[in-house]
Amino acid sequence: MSRDPAVAPATFEVLFTDVMNSAYGVAMRFCHNPADAEDLVQEAAFLAYRAFDSFESGSNFRAWFLKILTNCYFSKRRREKSRPVTSDLDDTPDLYLYARSGQAGFPTQGSDPASELLESLGTERIVAAIGRLPEDYRVVSTLYFMEDLSYEEIARILECPVGTVRSRLHRGRKMLQKALWQIAEEDGIVGEKTAGSGM
Amino acid sequence: MSQLSRTNCEEAFRLLNDFLDRRLTPEETKIIEEHLEICAWCAREFNFETSVLYGLKRKVRQLEVPAGLLSRILSQLPPSEEQA
Repeated sequence: MSRDPAVAPATFEVLFTDVMNSAYGVAMRFCHNPADAEDLVQEAAFLAYRAFDSFESGSNFRAWFLKILTNCYFSKRRREKSRPVTSDLDDTPDLYLYARSGQAGFPTQGSDPASELLESLGTERIVAAIGRLPEDYRVVSTLYFMEDLSYEEIARILECPVGTVRSRLHRGRKMLQKALWQIAEEDGIVGEKTAGSGM
Repeated sequence: MSQLSRTNCEEAFRLLNDFLDRRLTPEETKIIEEHLEICAWCAREFNFETSVLYGLKRKVRQLEVPAGLLSRILSQLPPSEEQA
């Protein structure tokens, strides 16, 4: 499909403007720092702009752009040589946070029982916990938590089967619960509660 | 599928993540909901997991986009002639 070059930039600009905030959010959760996140969005925007002729008008620009952004991130990671994955999260049992919260005296009942624990942790520690996940799980979890994408949309972005997205997401969520608890312990958040409860 | 009862909490639990992500069929969803009405333990666990999931989504989305980022990015795109 060919497009009038004089029209294309304005259209790209409009579509990109709509998705920029969410793209930056995903980039921040991938990269963990504003400078790298900005570079990543910039690089993805450049590539998307150059490839804009291949974008099917009327289809999902956000998913198309996130696919480019995610590919840029993977390329960047390959260039930097990936750090070793954390493997002690592999054996996380089901309902990890539920069990540990109960033991440590945090609520496990009510209308929003995890809110006290999550408030105590705060956004930065939660983001740090996502950062501890092995990369495949971290990328799927980030797309899921940040963007509410369907399994199918995530599968298209990552070019992998829907079943892979599902299993990584379910397993990633379990791992995340343990990572959250580890950080809560390291920062003394659950220690204070536990000390009072004799656990 | 027959109605889940106290004896098959395990089956309900196996569907927990798909239930939270609304990936179940309407029939499966109804079966889980009926089970949660009669099983306080499962109801408590499902409620907690729902709270974790939505709480995490709220938290990770709290993020400030740097001022001027959009204009910085747009200003660095190549001129329109290169688009063709």
